[in-house]
Amino acid sequence: MSRPVTPTIKVRDLRKVFTVTRREPGLRGALRSLVAPARVEVAALAGISFDMEPTERLALIGPNGAGKSTAIKILTGILQPTSGNCEVLGLVPWKQREQLARHVGTVFGQRPQLWYHLPAVDTLRLLAAVYDIDGRTAERRIRELADVFDLGSLLEVPVRKLSLGQRMRCEVAASLIHRPRLLLLDEPSIGLDPVAKHHIREMVLRMSEQDHVGVLVTSHDAGDIEALCRRVIIVEHGLVVYHDELQTLRSAYLSSKRVRAHFAGPATLGGLPPGVRLLRQDGISALLHVDTRRATIDGVLGLLSRAGELADLVISEPSLEEVIRAVFSGGRLEATS
Amino acid sequence: MAVPWAPARKYVAVSRIQLRASLVYPLDAAGRAISIVLFVVVFLNLWRATYQGAGRSVAGLGLRDVVWYLAVAEVVMLSQPRTAALLAQSVKDGSIAYQLARPYRFLLFHLAARLGDTLPLVMLTLAAGGAAAWLAVGAPPTWWGVALLAVELPMAWLLNFLMSTAIGLLAFSVEDTTAFEWIYNKLMLVVGGVLIPLDFFPGWLRGAATLLPFASATYTPAHLFVRPGGQGALELLAVQAAWIVVLGSALWALYRRGMRRLVVNGG
Repeated sequence: MSRPVTPTIKVRDLRKVFTVTRREPGLRGALRSLVAPARVEVAALAGISFDMEPTERLALIGPNGAGKSTAIKILTGILQPTSGNCEVLGLVPWKQREQLARHVGTVFGQRPQLWYHLPAVDTLRLLAAVYDIDGRTAERRIRELADVFDLGSLLEVPVRKLSLGQRMRCEVAASLIHRPRLLLLDEPSIGLDPVAKHHIREMVLRMSEQDHVGVLVTSHDAGDIEALCRRVIIVEHGLVVYHDELQTLRSAYLSSKRVRAHFAGPATLGGLPPGVRLLRQDGISALLHVDTRRATIDGVLGLLSRAGELADLVISEPSLEEVIRAVFSGGRLEATS
Repeated sequence: MAVPWAPARKYVAVSRIQLRASLVYPLDAAGRAISIVLFVVVFLNLWRATYQGAGRSVAGLGLRDVVWYLAVAEVVMLSQPRTAALLAQSVKDGSIAYQLARPYRFLLFHLAARLGDTLPLVMLTLAAGGAAAWLAVGAPPTWWGVALLAVELPMAWLLNFLMSTAIGLLAFSVEDTTAFEWIYNKLMLVVGGVLIPLDFFPGWLRGAATLLPFASATYTPAHLFVRPGGQGALELLAVQAAWIVVLGSALWALYRRGMRRLVVNGG
């Protein structure tokens, strides 16, 4: 199959405004809402633009209510945007939803697509029929997916008897039955234990590389993003607040270190040089944030050893989790915690 | 399974999986089969007492006609597709997102799914209700009516599907559809002729009620079962056909409108 050279996803100034009825608390409020409901407009997306290249793995991250899921739903064509343009695989999702569905696989975190009382293989066969895949090709594909997602006999077990991790592997496999060119994962690892999360990520990664599938993932979990994606888009209040390589995001932040010092006895820190901030301190320990572009670790060590007798010292880099939190809280790549 | 018309294959698959899922827990279907037997016993005693006071025939219907009429009406009621509740639930839990992001016609998908999960209900209630009525009052009044039921039961089912799905689609824009479902069910009982045959209503009320889709979905199949060649049979069939066309078009329009207004919960 020839791959398109145009972007897989092209989003321009996409806006989605929901009108919601605001319910007031209490009985009086409820009655008032009944007579004269207060309607407010909420912009879930306030004009976002981005591109995604074919076979790229891109993360869309942001706090709850940032507009990530709204974006995914517009990309699959199940929501119409209020304004703006968007093309997925050259199609306008909300106008060519069925056509698009043939090339896109979607996983919506905790929403089930598998028939709960039946073995997952039944749903896989049903979906194969829905995507007009003939019986033999379907069976071959099911075996392939069972192999990659390590499903084995799990496919024959009624879904209700599977653990969440096993079920999610089946869910993701089900979304890939028709060899989509693009996989949209909306919170794929939500609620999973670390081992199950790791499995899902590994398998999605393998599938993506093996079949050249583009992956767009929304997640709260920095682990999902680090494991899967090279590029990251951070949305907040329906706007793109950061859009670049994951590596750039990290290196912008790797210029900072956290230094935790424990003292053998009471210690007093003197004046802090530029680039060093005190994050926390009690009698015998201190946590410092060091901007290594403005201050040296050597200088900080000197400062600490003058403050008291050092018992222990930990120098660490901020986790991606903290980086993301910092982006949300400040919109700037400065540490806050 | 070989299907002559290839595009239909996916819908047959939907019906089959839904049928299999409904057979996992057969208690629901069994419960309905038991209810229809109880209904027939209650109807028999209720109407036998009525007929003892009123004579052999009321509005042209005898005791045997009334019991068979009510048995057929109950088969329609107990095996009706419940798209409204299912759609409302999938909008609430967000799984509607999956249903919409697939290459099939959304309404045909639901039609196929409901065919699958109501088929056991139709078979069971028909068998149980038929057996109970037969034991209670003897063979069906006419064999013509039995033959016509093969057409009328699907028609009634389709009308109920159209109405229930329309209510379900309201869930795209309103938060809760249970009130609408409740009203719909009560209308079926009263002006649909499930509780009392519409033949016993005053003439003007019967005339008005038979023009409504609720009567087309229950009164028409039940009445034509006992009086297939009776006066007004053709009118009943014409009204029924008209409602299928009108409600089918309305459902399509409602779906188009709903897709523009859909708010998918969660996330």
